[in-house]
Amino acid sequence: MIDWKLILEAIGILIYATFMGFIFMGIERKAMARIQRRIGPPIYQPIIDTLKLLGKKESVSHGFIYDFGPIFALGATITALLFLPVANFQLFSSNADLIVVAYLLEVPMLGIMLGAMSSGNPYSAVGVQRGLLTMVAMQLPYGLALIAIVQHFETFKLSEIVALQSLNGWSILVPALLLAMIVFDIVFQAMLGLEPFDIITAPAEISMGPMVEYGGKHAAILFTQHAVQLFAETTFFTILFLGGASNLLELLIKQIAVLFIAIFVASIYPRFTIDQAAKFFWKWPTIIGIIAVLLTM
Amino acid sequence: MESVEKPRVRVVGEEKVKLKKSFVKPWMGIKYLFKKPVTIKIPYEKIEPAPKYRGFHTLDWKKCIGCNFCGQICPARAIEMTWIEVDGKVEKRPHPKVDYGRCTFCQFCVDVCPTGALGHVENYYLTTAGLEEDLQLYDWVPIDPKKVRELNEKFNDYRFPVERIKFNKETKEVTYYLRDGTEFKFKILGYGLKPPAAAKPKPAAKPAEKPAEKKEEPKSKEKKE
Repeated sequence: MIDWKLILEAIGILIYATFMGFIFMGIERKAMARIQRRIGPPIYQPIIDTLKLLGKKESVSHGFIYDFGPIFALGATITALLFLPVANFQLFSSNADLIVVAYLLEVPMLGIMLGAMSSGNPYSAVGVQRGLLTMVAMQLPYGLALIAIVQHFETFKLSEIVALQSLNGWSILVPALLLAMIVFDIVFQAMLGLEPFDIITAPAEISMGPMVEYGGKHAAILFTQHAVQLFAETTFFTILFLGGASNLLELLIKQIAVLFIAIFVASIYPRFTIDQAAKFFWKWPTIIGIIAVLLTM
Repeated sequence: MESVEKPRVRVVGEEKVKLKKSFVKPWMGIKYLFKKPVTIKIPYEKIEPAPKYRGFHTLDWKKCIGCNFCGQICPARAIEMTWIEVDGKVEKRPHPKVDYGRCTFCQFCVDVCPTGALGHVENYYLTTAGLEEDLQLYDWVPIDPKKVRELNEKFNDYRFPVERIKFNKETKEVTYYLRDGTEFKFKILGYGLKPPAAAKPKPAAKPAEKPAEKKEEPKSKEKKE
């Protein structure tokens, strides 16, 4: 039988996540504008942008894979979202959903790369090469942070991690996990494509990186994907380190707190070059991550 | 000769200007988050241009003697002399017509004008659509400064004082629809320094002296092309 309740819940979470993701994007632009002493666009601006992109008449396509890439990325993000315990709703859960979510949050980048490579634009090629190198570089500290979490809680289930944190206090209160949080926060910046590690898109350097050929509806899908991913990643951060949330308001406050740290870091540090980023990821975050893992043993 | 002094150049040591790299200092940039933005909200707020901001031209038609100094000094060759008939009366001298498609707003023409007929106001705002009849607006014989100031006091938004210019090709009649709704009509009889046939009867004797300045003649012909 089709579980209608599950389907409705999934659609509800999806709509909420997309809307809030767009609002987060708006907050990001607004806060960055205020740090630069500008007023900035209204907070709902990304929604208008996406609607405008959806209203474009022509959409260039370079073949099946080019169309498939953004959809693949969006699908992966949505799947990651459905595995996350958003407040009290967790739609799917398995024994090791931490790993599932951690890797599903990486897959969208692969989807974008897949589509971008088939466009045949040299800027896309450079962007993809940089993106994959960043991904490779950030896997090591990312993995170490997750290992520290898993070793401390001795479980792979996200819902259990939330439950344990509500019993014993947030995980950032544990010194070892605080280190893990610092590592995760650095990686987080790269996962969101924000400033010190926005080498993938690198506006003004390689015109838009992988997204250089995307326009119209493809770009609208990528915008939506970014919004959902922003929501999913902030939720993931909240669940792992800030003790999850029992209702949507609490979740929202914690998500915005996470987002603001990311915005602050993004608005004050300049961009790394790709070799500096790879060196950086394998130096400081890795060292801190190893210490965190050793402390949790 | 040996006593020539060497120019003393002061060099500041590099250690004084080289900054230390810092990881924490960039966070100082966040202090602006809670300060008031320095933006001017243009549709709601106004900025006053400087009192002698170089904007559009004004022309006192009574003072202009048609000497073409402005046309000679104009670096963009945006000024063309125009023979004008107002209310059935032919003006004795040609008046400059400014093409804002080429004008660089250097206002050399204002400085060079011997009688002070050509002046400028602070108005700088001129936008039109791309239609042919809208683009007529960029090519005008400047109007009297008093009129422009009056319009400025009325609207105070530093826009171009004319809303629409209509040029009738058959009768060669030009109509300026000013912003306060009044119309300003005159006829363009011809261009260049030589008076056209229509303007000849009266001032025939005076422009006859002009061809002595041969330099301008080819110029005016070029413009006609």
